[in-house]
Amino acid sequence: MIAMDLMHHSSCFLLPTIPLQRRPSLTYALLVLNQNLPRFTPLLWNHAQLHLCADGGANRLYDEMPLFFPQEDASDVRRRYKPDVIKGDMDSIRREVLEFYASLGTEIVDKSHDQDTTDLHKCVTYIRDSASGLDKSNLCVLVVGALGGRFDQEMGNLNVICRFSSMRIVLLSNDSLIHLLPRTYCHEIHIQTSVEGPHCGLIPIGTPSKSSTTTGLQWDLNNTAMEFGGLVSTSNIVKEEKVTVQSDCDLLWTISIKKL
Amino acid sequence: MPLFFPQEDASDVRRRYKPDVIKGDMDSIRREVLEFYASLGTEIVDKSHDQDTTDLHKCVTYIRDSASGLDKSNQLCVLVVGALGGRFDQEMGNLNVICRFSSMRIVLLSNDSLIHLLPRTYCHEIHIQTSVEGPHCGLIPIGTPSKSSTTTGLQWDLNNTAMEFGGLVSTSNIVKEEKVTVQSDCDLLWTISIKKL
Repeated sequence: MIAMDLMHHSSCFLLPTIPLQRRPSLTYALLVLNQNLPRFTPLLWNHAQLHLCADGGANRLYDEMPLFFPQEDASDVRRRYKPDVIKGDMDSIRREVLEFYASLGTEIVDKSHDQDTTDLHKCVTYIRDSASGLDKSNLCVLVVGALGGRFDQEMGNLNVICRFSSMRIVLLSNDSLIHLLPRTYCHEIHIQTSVEGPHCGLIPIGTPSKSSTTTGLQWDLNNTAMEFGGLVSTSNIVKEEKVTVQSDCDLLWTISIKKL
Repeated sequence: MPLFFPQEDASDVRRRYKPDVIKGDMDSIRREVLEFYASLGTEIVDKSHDQDTTDLHKCVTYIRDSASGLDKSNQLCVLVVGALGGRFDQEMGNLNVICRFSSMRIVLLSNDSLIHLLPRTYCHEIHIQTSVEGPHCGLIPIGTPSKSSTTTGLQWDLNNTAMEFGGLVSTSNIVKEEKVTVQSDCDLLWTISIKKL
C-alpha cells in the first residue's frame, strides 16, 4: 500500500457559519456564471473573500439577488452584493448591468479576444494568476451556474476542474455539488449531514479506473474497477460522517444538497 | 402536459397523452396519478425489487426485451426526456446507460440540448436540422481518452486529434455545414443545442 498524502474535504461553505478547525482554514472565492442562482448563493457570498462574475453571471446577480430579499429595496441588495471583478467576453452582460457595477467600483476585466477558453477557464486562470489581495495559500473556488443549461458547456466546465486538478474548485447547483478527487491523494470527505447527502456518486470522468476503494458508503468500492460503459458509482448513499476514497485515477465526487 | 394546452380541459389532455406503460420502483409516482392511468388501461410494470439499476436502465431494458407490438426491425430510437439536470449523480448514471447500451439508438433531450452516443465502430454522418438545432455543439470522450478523432463540418474540426478530460474536449464548437461527419477510436457523446423558437 503506497502511503499518500491525505486531502481533506468538507462542505463548510454550506453552513451558516464556518466552524473553527484544527486544519488551516480555506479562503473562498465565489464565481458566478450565467445560470439561475442557487438558493444558497447569499450564504456562499458571505463566506467568500473574492466575488467574481463571468460575463452574463453579472446579469444573474443583478436580476436575481434581490429576489432572495423581497422585503428589501432592490438597489440596496445590488449594492451589498457587488462583485469585485467581472471578467469574460462581455458578449452576454447587459449594458446597464455593466455600467451599474462599474460605477460602484467593480473591476471590469475584458478578455474578448480570447475565444479558445470558456468563461470558467478564464476566471479560474484569473483567480490563480492575478486576483491581488487574495490569500491563495489555501484557496477554494466556489462556482455557481456551471451546471444545467447547454450540455456541451456543462462538459466544458467539468473539463476545467479536471484541467486545474491542483486547485480546489467546487461546482454547485441547487441539487448537487461536484469536485475533483485527484488520484495523487487519499481523500477524507467530512459529510455535513445538516446540508448535504445522502445521495452521492463517484465518477471516473474521462478515464477508466482499474481500482478504487472507499469507506463510509452504502455500496463501498473495494479495489473495484469503474468506467463509463461499465460500473459507475451513482445513486450511492453516504452512511457515515466520514467517507474515504482512494483511486488510481481522478474521480469526480458528487453529493446531493438538501432542500431545507 | 395540460400546461402546454391551457385552452383545453386538463382531463381531456391527460386522456389524450396517456402512457402505454409505467415502469419502475413506484416510489415517486403519486397514488392518484397511478390510479388515473391504470383506470385508462396503462400497463403498470412494477420492478420495485431491483435496486441495482436506474429507472432509465430498467426502461431501456424493458423496451429492448419486452415492449410487445413495437416494431423493432426498423431501427428503434429511444427518445428520453428528463434524464438531464437535477441531481448530478443521476445525470451521470443516465449518461452511463447510453454508454452501456451502445448498440441502441438512445437520445437524451432537454430544453437546451440533445445528446446521443457515436459508437466507435462506425463512421458517422450527422444531418443537421438547422431549423431546430445548433449551432452550438460538442464531442465528449466521456469514459476513455481518444487518441484520434476526425470531423468535417464543424467550425473547429478535429483532424486525427487526441481528446480527453484534463486536456482537449470539443465543447462550444459550432456546426458550419448541414452534414457533419465524425470518426473516432472511441465512443464519443455528440451534443448539439436545441433552438428556442
